[in-house]
Amino acid sequence: MYQALLTRRYLTSRVMPLLAALAVMLCTAMVLIVWSVMSGFLGMLLDSGRTLMGDAAITWPVAGIPYYEDLMDRLEARPEIAATTPTLETLGLIGLPDGSPEIWTLIGVDGPSYDRVTSYAETLWWKPIDKPLPKDRDREDLRLRLSNQYYDEGLALTEQDLETGDEKAAVVPGIWATGYNRRDIGGWTNARFRFMPDAELTISVLPISQRGAAIDVAARRFPIANEFQSGLYEVDANTALIRLDALQEMLDMNAADRVEAFDPFAVEIDEEGNETFVQPKAVGVEPARVTTVMIRAADGVTPQVARDVAEDVYEEFAAVQGMEVPDPQFVRIYTWEQRDGVRTFIAAVKKELALTVALFGFISLTAVFLVFAIFWSMVSDKIKDIGILRAMGASKPGVAWIFIRYGAAIGVVGSILGGLAAWLIVSNINPIHDWLGTAFGLTVWDPEIYYFPQIPNKVDPIAALLVMGGGVLFSVIGAIAPAIKAARMDPVRSLRFE
Amino acid sequence: MTSETPILEARNVSRTYRMGRVDVPVLKGVDLTVAPGEFLAVLGASGSGKSTMLHLLGGLDRPDRPANGTEGVFFRGRNLSGMSSSEINTYRNLQVGFVFQFYHLLPELDVLENVLIGGMIRHGRFGFGRRKSELHDAAAELLKSLGLGHRLRHKATALSGGERQRVAIARALINHPPALLADEPTGNLDRETGMRILDAMATIREQMNQTIVMVTHDPSIAERADRIVRLTDGVLVTEALEASNT
Repeated sequence: MYQALLTRRYLTSRVMPLLAALAVMLCTAMVLIVWSVMSGFLGMLLDSGRTLMGDAAITWPVAGIPYYEDLMDRLEARPEIAATTPTLETLGLIGLPDGSPEIWTLIGVDGPSYDRVTSYAETLWWKPIDKPLPKDRDREDLRLRLSNQYYDEGLALTEQDLETGDEKAAVVPGIWATGYNRRDIGGWTNARFRFMPDAELTISVLPISQRGAAIDVAARRFPIANEFQSGLYEVDANTALIRLDALQEMLDMNAADRVEAFDPFAVEIDEEGNETFVQPKAVGVEPARVTTVMIRAADGVTPQVARDVAEDVYEEFAAVQGMEVPDPQFVRIYTWEQRDGVRTFIAAVKKELALTVALFGFISLTAVFLVFAIFWSMVSDKIKDIGILRAMGASKPGVAWIFIRYGAAIGVVGSILGGLAAWLIVSNINPIHDWLGTAFGLTVWDPEIYYFPQIPNKVDPIAALLVMGGGVLFSVIGAIAPAIKAARMDPVRSLRFE
Repeated sequence: MTSETPILEARNVSRTYRMGRVDVPVLKGVDLTVAPGEFLAVLGASGSGKSTMLHLLGGLDRPDRPANGTEGVFFRGRNLSGMSSSEINTYRNLQVGFVFQFYHLLPELDVLENVLIGGMIRHGRFGFGRRKSELHDAAAELLKSLGLGHRLRHKATALSGGERQRVAIARALINHPPALLADEPTGNLDRETGMRILDAMATIREQMNQTIVMVTHDPSIAERADRIVRLTDGVLVTEALEASNT
């Protein structure tokens, strides 16, 4: 009881403990801000990766998977699977409108089903802003003047010829792929040199036979329907989406008649005596192929479960389709996190997050030494009080508890204030960053480096509790040695201390 | 335990302090007996060992290792040297009350809180919580009897020397200890204020039959006691009883 009374009075009647609480507050706020921004960054990366790739996928590169519609039907029949979509991935040589060449990853997609699996529509950049904020109006965002046409055409990867009314397969490149868009200090994206949805690209691909041999290069011009921003810079700078049927056609992976073996030089003479080459006889249909079937798990189903279901379904599918489809032992079935490149990238960011939090946590240990130094000095200052309490019957643990409790109180006050400060700063970090950019030209969060135009601005409650708990713990640790010193003091010497 | 049993007793008590490499004997085989209800003054010059004697009687310090169990400081026949740390804490809390020359009040607390601290230590958080009102009333009553009823919520630092010493007396008595140990209670006060403090102690002694052991260097202060013993260079010399105080 007397410990509680003295803790309260010591806390409110002296400046030093308030300085200690301030140190704990600053350390707590610092760690929590860093943790929130970094884990928010990781969360945004994960969301972006999932947005582009769905939860799981079945892949057989180059030759592709035939009868994929059957595979998709079988997958969608399972309750764990919410949706599937076929995609076809290859490398392509791109001729930009100014003639400069680029090599991009081309992904053939069926817009509507791709959207069901990956939330593709949300990544389309050129679309009207539903609720423009004052800052959007201030910077004259191009999207404020757009109609829904670009959105619709981007979703369908199709452009309608205004004169003829014909629909043409279109392409949707990543927002950074062409190099014609730029971000400014505020992190806003705009068409700086050219508005790409009004342009065309020349795309050249190299079809590969099922045996891996190159066939003739196929080249074609495509209108740009829209641009997408997944949030992953590597994807947005090197990828274009293209309508699936168009890419299948260019890669000779569309459905075609299967013919029997024939002599290409054989001729036949008709009744009128004219010679014509013998046409091969159709004996069936060569199915269309895709390299990947992407899968979206049902609500509450983890990507790993969806992947395991996909493995079962593929075995069943292969058993039915026989030798024409890739062997289940060799086909690649994985969650989006297990995909090559993504796995190592996410692991690297996770390690960076852990390292940063650990480093800042280590720096925060200075708070322990600060509390220790302040308490050590306070114990020296309170020697007489300790003697008085011992003379009145206070036990050694009772005296120690005063200072440990005092340390805990400083930790609680500092941590709560630090948590509050961190929450205020993180919640307003983007306006603060914008202000720094406008007032001082400081761009701490460079969008070219960190991929995202906005700084993550959410505080994770679990992280907040952990950091604040750490603040209290560190304060108690800092108070332990002075508390032991106080407890071990000889009461007579304490009373005689001048 | 009979009424003749001394409340406090020192038997062949010695205490030596080590100052650097030198042993300094402060008490040299002191024998002292304090009867229940007695007001005893220990008179001695500065450095004679009188405060050390008081600290030993109050369990704040321990004598040099006694030769056998019959030597040492005894409270109602029980040797303090045989008590555990916990028992010594309880002894200091319940059986003796200290009054110091420099008051030693806790400056962050107000007058009432300073007096209640002993009660808080005695009863613990929950026990004090249950008796809070009762203990508040007792402390307030005690302070009122010492003329401090109007100062309950004042900080100790706002009081005069005499008032502070009266608060210290109230603090020492809050748990109704059988023995009050006063170390130069008037040493830091002017003569008139010092006399008022002695009057207060005498009143308490009369009303509560309080045993008081007071150490002082001033013979005129010591005269207020029933009995005076003189400490000279760590050795005790018994003097005549002052008839005027009986």
